[in-house]
Amino acid sequence: MDVLELARLQFALTAGAHFLFVALTLGLATVIAVLQTRATVGRSAIHARMTRFWGRLYVINYAMGIVTGLVMEFQLGLSWSGLTHFAGNVVGASLAMETLVAFFVESTFLGLWVFGWDKLNRWAHLAAIWVVTLTAYASAYWILVANGFMQNPVGAAPGGDGLRLTDAAAVLTNPSTLHAFWHVLTGALVTAGFFLAGVSAWHLLRRTPEAEFFGRSLRIGVLIAGPALFGSAVTGGLQLQLIQDIQPHKWAEFSEGSGAARVGALLMLVTYAAMFFFSLLNALLALSRRVIVTAHLWHVALIAAIPLPYVAMISGWVFREVGRQPWVVDGLLTTQDAVSDLSPSAIRFSFVTFVTAFAVLIAVNTWLLARQARRGPDPVAPGPEPVTQGVLV
Amino acid sequence: MTETLAAALLGFFALGYFMLGGADIGVGMMLPFLGRDGDRRRLVVAAIVPFFLANEVWLVATAGLLIGAFPALEAQLFPGLFPLIVALVTGWIVRDMGLWSRERAGARVWPAICDAAVTLGSWTVAGAWAWILAGLLTGVTDDVAGGPAVALLAAVVVALFALHGLSFAGLRLPGRTGGRSRFAVTAAALAGVVLAAGARLDFAASAADDATLRLLVPAVAAMLPLLLIGQVLTWRLFRHRVAGRVSA
Repeated sequence: MDVLELARLQFALTAGAHFLFVALTLGLATVIAVLQTRATVGRSAIHARMTRFWGRLYVINYAMGIVTGLVMEFQLGLSWSGLTHFAGNVVGASLAMETLVAFFVESTFLGLWVFGWDKLNRWAHLAAIWVVTLTAYASAYWILVANGFMQNPVGAAPGGDGLRLTDAAAVLTNPSTLHAFWHVLTGALVTAGFFLAGVSAWHLLRRTPEAEFFGRSLRIGVLIAGPALFGSAVTGGLQLQLIQDIQPHKWAEFSEGSGAARVGALLMLVTYAAMFFFSLLNALLALSRRVIVTAHLWHVALIAAIPLPYVAMISGWVFREVGRQPWVVDGLLTTQDAVSDLSPSAIRFSFVTFVTAFAVLIAVNTWLLARQARRGPDPVAPGPEPVTQGVLV
Repeated sequence: MTETLAAALLGFFALGYFMLGGADIGVGMMLPFLGRDGDRRRLVVAAIVPFFLANEVWLVATAGLLIGAFPALEAQLFPGLFPLIVALVTGWIVRDMGLWSRERAGARVWPAICDAAVTLGSWTVAGAWAWILAGLLTGVTDDVAGGPAVALLAAVVVALFALHGLSFAGLRLPGRTGGRSRFAVTAAALAGVVLAAGARLDFAASAADDATLRLLVPAVAAMLPLLLIGQVLTWRLFRHRVAGRVSA
């Protein structure tokens, strides 16, 4: 493979790995913020226990999201200096906004939430998780400002040796950004819903002692996933309409092409249909408390369905990004012109390093998540907590 | 004018990273020395773990601001320093994984693996920074620098990271002496190196367009209070030494 192909594959794997974690983190943060609100306002013990249990899984996953996100941020500079050079005034600026306005606050407050569990007063602690959740949304928005501009470059004009910002409002309200933002949010909630339902089903299937805890969690998961799937269909449909207008070449790839973009789109649609019909069934079955606890065949299906939202998300991204080729900024800058002037050995070195690191990270994450999920929630009367670490770590 | 402000903000975030993040990196380097057995190492990791997230965001912000406000400088620095930045990021994720995962599994083997990851990762991060800073100090901004002067300077910077870590350990670990003034001295030494290296960079010629900076700089300035509230809360909440008792 040449430098361009390796750089593209490296970025695709980085973004793909990052998104595996982001999809769950973004949805789970919302769920946990709501659970903790109920625990704090209503002084509800079971919601407090749910906050802790799902919070642990959230934090494990979040850590992976951070480290893969770091590699992505640095890779933009390392491999795609042509992009920052040409479109830095728009793309670079929105990435800067993401790091400063969103991620900085998100990560600092996440630290306060994780490690300040018994140190902050309960209202301050609740405020911390809401700050984390809202800045996580802001983070997604700013990344999609950059990505939406690459799909549909509005609000900038050529000037000097690159693009100049001419209309900030047009950049910030780019339909390619806004539709994708709501699509990602609803998709993240679908992911979190399937995750909650699947992990809970595992415990109910194994008849672990926490039937009440996991019965309620399963129902929450199912009830989130249903409406979220509906929302993701609406926002997905809007995007399909939009690309007929703004990216006719992508539409052509989708409707009559034969490459990865079409495969991604079809896989996404098939997976979506499977989740949709499964969710209708779930909504019916979840009406009965007895069925929730006893329907073992259903439990197996819920566990097996955990990967579906991931498949839909990643294949949807493949469609969105591969369908843009050969452009990196649609109609203005080709991917070929955006790649840094790197030697083949340099890109091979970074490819091998990062791919190895990601393989280890995904393996460790899956192992730790499964281990923590299996362990179940803390006993009702908790033993002495380890004093040297935050409660969640 | 806006580009001067943007450069000042960039310097602010970079100094924040080296003065605060440098401390937990230094403790990570000194982990085998500060913690002779597993229980003690657990305490050392506990001393830095509430801080490392709040500290590393300064670097993420520095990199973000570099891309946003000085794209041409970024396009010059990053490809030139490619192998060092790959090493830096790899060391960073290895050490973070060790810090995050240490308490999550097993009693002996897994924590020992994580301790090794923290130590190796921290040395890699400090070493990569030392090399980058030494290169910048000698005036090389578009390539990996070499030669005895660079090696000597790099060794000094690595030592500064380690010393700064020991100062931080003096504030957080039971049974170690040291006070805030020692922490301030090692922080100032690192800051001096960073400022001297930054002075070698040409910000004026590489700034983003004025239309972009006029939006970016005020937006960042408006967010600064919230950014700083999170930092102050973190440093206040965890200002005491970690508990000496170690539960199973």
